[in-house]
Amino acid sequence: MPVYTVSNVQNIRVCVVMVGLPARGKSFISQKIVRYLSWLSIQAKCFNVGNYRRQHAGAEQPNADFFDFGNKEAYKIRQHAVTMAVEDMMRWFNEKGGVVAILDATNSTSERREWILKLCRENAIEPMFLESWCDDQDLILRNISEVKTTSPDYQGIDPDVATKDFLERISKYESVYEPLDEEVDKDKTFVRLINVAQQVIINRIETYLESRIVFYVMNLHIRPRSIWLSRHGESIYNVEKKIGGDSHLSPRGLQYASKLPELVKRSAGDVDLTVWTSTLVRTGETAQHLPYKQLQWKALDELDAGVCDGMTYEEIEEIYPEDFKARDDNKYEYRYRGGESYRDVVIRLEPIIMELERQENILIITHQAVLRCIYAYFMNVPQEESPWMSIPLHTLIKLEPRAYGTNVTRIKANIPAVSTYKEKGTSQVGESDLNSGNSRSVLTSAPELNEQQEST
Amino acid sequence: MSAIVSDDDELINGLGSEVVITKPVPGNHMARTRKRWSSGSTEKRPKVINKLIDGVHTDVAKDYISPGQLYSTESGRLFHAGKILIVLVGLPATSKTLLSVAITRYTRWLGVRTRSFHVSEYRREKIRAEKGEVPDDYFSAKPTSKEGIQYRKEILSKMIQDMTEFFDEKKGQLAVYDALNILKDDRSSIEQAFGKLHIKVLFIESVVTDPVLQKRNVDLAIKSEDYKGWVLKRAEEDYMERLQANKYLYQEMSPEEKLSYVKYINFGEKLTVNNNNYGYLINKIVFFLMNLRDKRGCVYFARCGTSVKDKYIDDEELNGEGLEYSRILTDLVLDLVNRRRLNANDDGADVPRTPSLVSLNERSKSPLIATSASLKRTESTGNAMYRQPASGDGVDDDSFVVWTAPRKRTYDTAKYFADLGITVRQRNQLQQLHPGVVADMTDEEIREKFPSEYEEYLRDPYHFRFSRAESYHDLAVRMEPLLLEMERMCGDILIIGHESTLRVLYGYLMAFSCSEIPRLTFTRDELIEISFGPFENKVNRIPIVMD
Repeated sequence: MPVYTVSNVQNIRVCVVMVGLPARGKSFISQKIVRYLSWLSIQAKCFNVGNYRRQHAGAEQPNADFFDFGNKEAYKIRQHAVTMAVEDMMRWFNEKGGVVAILDATNSTSERREWILKLCRENAIEPMFLESWCDDQDLILRNISEVKTTSPDYQGIDPDVATKDFLERISKYESVYEPLDEEVDKDKTFVRLINVAQQVIINRIETYLESRIVFYVMNLHIRPRSIWLSRHGESIYNVEKKIGGDSHLSPRGLQYASKLPELVKRSAGDVDLTVWTSTLVRTGETAQHLPYKQLQWKALDELDAGVCDGMTYEEIEEIYPEDFKARDDNKYEYRYRGGESYRDVVIRLEPIIMELERQENILIITHQAVLRCIYAYFMNVPQEESPWMSIPLHTLIKLEPRAYGTNVTRIKANIPAVSTYKEKGTSQVGESDLNSGNSRSVLTSAPELNEQQEST
Repeated sequence: MSAIVSDDDELINGLGSEVVITKPVPGNHMARTRKRWSSGSTEKRPKVINKLIDGVHTDVAKDYISPGQLYSTESGRLFHAGKILIVLVGLPATSKTLLSVAITRYTRWLGVRTRSFHVSEYRREKIRAEKGEVPDDYFSAKPTSKEGIQYRKEILSKMIQDMTEFFDEKKGQLAVYDALNILKDDRSSIEQAFGKLHIKVLFIESVVTDPVLQKRNVDLAIKSEDYKGWVLKRAEEDYMERLQANKYLYQEMSPEEKLSYVKYINFGEKLTVNNNNYGYLINKIVFFLMNLRDKRGCVYFARCGTSVKDKYIDDEELNGEGLEYSRILTDLVLDLVNRRRLNANDDGADVPRTPSLVSLNERSKSPLIATSASLKRTESTGNAMYRQPASGDGVDDDSFVVWTAPRKRTYDTAKYFADLGITVRQRNQLQQLHPGVVADMTDEEIREKFPSEYEEYLRDPYHFRFSRAESYHDLAVRMEPLLLEMERMCGDILIIGHESTLRVLYGYLMAFSCSEIPRLTFTRDELIEISFGPFENKVNRIPIVMD
């Protein structure tokens, strides 16, 4: 199957070298790029120098003194860590056919950057420097509080002590930091993000894939925010075990719609948010009582089941047995007759993902397949698994994107609903015991799980 | 529990009643009524398509649906991006017209209702209508004579009026305003005027500091319609005067103006984006600008050679005739490219490229005339002293690449190129439209076997998918990266592909709507050459003569 969304990755190698002081969102951006590219089926990997330092260079939780540039011993260890990271990266390019590597480190001096540049060029790669420069104190402080709670360097350390040490570490870097210079570095490929994306300087981008990465990064922001996801309330077709259609909500679905404002309020507090729905009736009905600004997106409409729209799985199995089987064999690529595949949905969702990255607090009320794709993007779920995730009705999911992963919380409405989940190899809907088979519950088997079930 | 919301249900069951589902109703009684595309079937289709005209300047119909559009909306606007005015800023000879046309072409293809408004066109129109002369100082951003001021004012206010009308009455989403706009005052008054109408304004300032690039732009300008019949030298003097007068007035954009703007330096070598919070669409345009290149070369389209059965199902090799076709095609294309390069080198207008001793040596091996760019490439690879050549194709302005689909007969059609050492790439995205169940069937057979599908297909051949098949829309969406890579190519490129993929690429370059694309024809006896102009692209159809 050809890679649909991006071109010619054969013979293309992109090395993104991050630049910037600590707490400027570098790791966050690196992780995001990897996720986005993987979602588009491009081989991408992040090489975090801090991890090499912790795991292989024997500096697991050093204090700020370690980052003093006068500390010869420590500098050696750090140099060793970056060398290992770069060597691994080149090996990954050469042996594993890697396409996009991200070297996540401060790379704050021009001497260090020249050294990396030389290594890359000797391997016939022109690296792209990506600098996050920021003097917005609010933003920096927020990032610091995030790092001190999530960075492995400060695990188990008193937050106040961690903050103090981290500030000290930043000041060590500040004393040697040389930002990229539009004049001096004019012959290099670089991107500077000034205060996230208030100003973006793009210099000498020479490949399509690089431009695609820059495009994506331009849509990112590092302000903390949350995204809530919900399927529409139980619909009449859900009750009738039919797929697709444009049906109204069932009484229980309407009950969910009535309860939704309270659920959202409980999770979001007083923050303002925007509700996105699809253009189908059932999502609009689900959102009807929410006291927020609402937008409709055609791109959020359910996967189009083509000729099977409005059928039950049993009917599909009977009328189109081959299709039924073909879909089970490769659900991601299978395209309904006259309809869409999961890959098609991913392609049409790309603008939504970009816009979602640009926005702050968003509640999306949409459909099972679309939610699976959006969830897969945030949680880095591989495409063999994402179409099989179970996302139950009448459940609000909260995602909090963080530098080192996304936090998930689910809030159950405790309003009964049918299950619309269909396991592989059967036409019956409903979840069997989790340990019995193929069922993948989004909240029990997805990576980066952080379940805090609400009980009311 | 709240009441059922549908009026119809209340009419049937009594006011305030609730519908309680007691048992499932058979059949698809609440089917999706809206398609992903509201059908473009009302669009009148011309019987014969004049394929030689670039459609980028024609108005789009009310129900226009464009090739790359992901879905259609009632308002005609996409991405919740609102209405946007893009204002070009820059001295003469900074490619403003090229930029506005390219943005129009691309955003239209994406499904945005875009129109560009060129001050030069309005001026020409006014001259035609009034049969008058343009006042001497009209070309200054700040004319001093009474006539000059009046003339300028008339043209600009007509443009503003037309743009406003485009937004208000023609469902316009994006207007591109192509004029000098080099004065701060001009910019702030545009911002205010359109801001009042809730139209977002983004400025794109094109700055050229590279003398080579500037010279090229001047050369293009003095060969334009404005200087028809002029002696070149005199035209150049006149144009330079125009440029100098404005240079003196030019106020370059800076953050102090507090406007949203993109500074576009030396045709994309560097871009800075300032205060952009207009959303996806603008970022997408910046993305496009990152890929736009100053093209010296042409795009060639050719079909593949014939094979014995010529069926979709078999992945056959070329037959004797097919091989002969390939040979003739190779000679023809190389000859065209070389002739153009020789002309460019003779012409003082282009960058002088003196072939060094090495390049003469190189030349004897390669069928193409080598220039300095390709030599630099071999020299720098793996050498830490130099920038590494970008890993994509077509980075140098003298590059020549052949793209083929991954099928044997298309790939084989390029074999003589490969033998001569020319880069030939199999591109997955060029895989022809998947015909699904109707593979290798004639229209008659399809009509017979799938009568209802065939009818639907005739109604909307662009979006309709036969069972298991791809629609043209699917094809266009999967080919979008190729379009951008094609924009990125500085040199020449030959694309050998199936008719379906050529239709999509040609449709983009010549701005065809989706009702026209499925009916374009490409035959084996013609090579298509598309050359790029700032205002429009031009097609040349060259016969492929088999001996």
